[in-house]
Amino acid sequence: MDEVRKDCGVIEVEGLTVAFEGQNALDDFSLSVEKGGKIVLEGRSGSGKSSILKSLLGFIKPKRGGIFIDGRPLDGHSVWQLRRLFGYVAQEPQMGAGRTAELLERPFSYRANSELSFPRSKLLELCERFSFDGKLLEKDVSALSGGEKQRAAIMGALLLDRPIYLFDEPTSAMDSHSRTVFTEIIKESGFTALIVSHERILCEAADAVVRMPERKPAQ
Amino acid sequence: MNDTAIHPLGVLAGYAMLIIPLGLILWYRLGIMGRTITAIVRMTVQLVFVGLYLQVVFRLNSVWLNLLWMLVMIVVADGSILKGCGLRTRALWRELFIALLAGTVVPLGVFVAVILMRPFVFDARIVIPVAGMILGNCLRANIVGIGSFYNSIKQGEKPFQCALAQGASLSEAVKPFMADALRQAFAPTIAMMATIGLVSLPGMMTGTMLAGANPLDAIQYQIAIVIAIFTGTSITVVAGIWLSARRAFNAYGMLDAGIFV
Repeated sequence: MDEVRKDCGVIEVEGLTVAFEGQNALDDFSLSVEKGGKIVLEGRSGSGKSSILKSLLGFIKPKRGGIFIDGRPLDGHSVWQLRRLFGYVAQEPQMGAGRTAELLERPFSYRANSELSFPRSKLLELCERFSFDGKLLEKDVSALSGGEKQRAAIMGALLLDRPIYLFDEPTSAMDSHSRTVFTEIIKESGFTALIVSHERILCEAADAVVRMPERKPAQ
Repeated sequence: MNDTAIHPLGVLAGYAMLIIPLGLILWYRLGIMGRTITAIVRMTVQLVFVGLYLQVVFRLNSVWLNLLWMLVMIVVADGSILKGCGLRTRALWRELFIALLAGTVVPLGVFVAVILMRPFVFDARIVIPVAGMILGNCLRANIVGIGSFYNSIKQGEKPFQCALAQGASLSEAVKPFMADALRQAFAPTIAMMATIGLVSLPGMMTGTMLAGANPLDAIQYQIAIVIAIFTGTSITVVAGIWLSARRAFNAYGMLDAGIFV
């Protein structure tokens, strides 16, 4: 089994076409992101932004086109190694059931992350930056508000210290302080990031904003 | 006629008792009279058929006939589970068949050969009723367990994908869903074990006592069969989920929507 390289971070999407129930949600989409690049995907609802992130993670099998991470094609075999390069925060994230602290620690018990140890000091630092009350860590995640869940999910992803991050509307339920903190982290970090967002603050912080092509109405 | 047999007039008196539930169905206009009568007729015909068939099976006591009968029971249970779970029969039939076979044969073998210490393990009088009891419980547990497993992953797509995105293998990502499914599948048997003898006297114990056995002998049979049932349900649900998962998820670890009806 190939070793997963931690210094990677180049994303290439070539002619990606995604279809649901016979209708294209994304048509011949291409994108190239260099290592450490921060790209915001912007566009109307249903323009296929989330489908790009899900395709990169292998959650959607494209109809056509290819995805390459650091030159390596994403397929049914490589996906299990390539996922270890990604940190992902879904739209309205759901980390599972249980105490918040348990859910943040759970990924460190996975075999693929066995070389990682839980970075407690980093968690405390992130809690402080995001003004995330430490008591919330002991609460059941279902008791958290939408914004708290988003912050917890972002902190959980950042704790894994991945070379590539995929964020789907990560700040939609956040207050302005948390949005600013998130934007600062994006700017100061060396990871590659693909962010689906409409937030001006994120668009301004990004290296580039990709506007999704308008979809032709169904005939 | 031996002293445990019921006189035909007694059976008719039993049917007469149906006046009470049927009367209530009519009085409250439940609209289930046709279905209830069909169910009663089916029960009667099916049991008469099984009674006649088992008489022949018990008389012949052939290993091959007994095995064939068990095989038929497992095939019928397999189809019932997939139907009960809302899953496509063709997709997971073979995997569930193997799981049911393992969940029935392992505890049955221990029950007959080790607990009862029968020299002839294929004795129809023992093998067929005990296999039926184990299989019936495996069927119920599988409908709950397998149905809950696949439906909760379908509905809980986000936490499942979240785990995969965090680097979980497929077995790690499905573990919380599997734990929930097993909890639900085991719950009825655990509740039954906790209340057995207090709330109800179980069928096997009652049957053994009706046949003239000492109650203390009857409870030994009952304890052994309950343990066999619990062991069988645990084997069949875990095996059913693991074996079916190999087919139900694609190479990317995504649940194939085609398994649902």
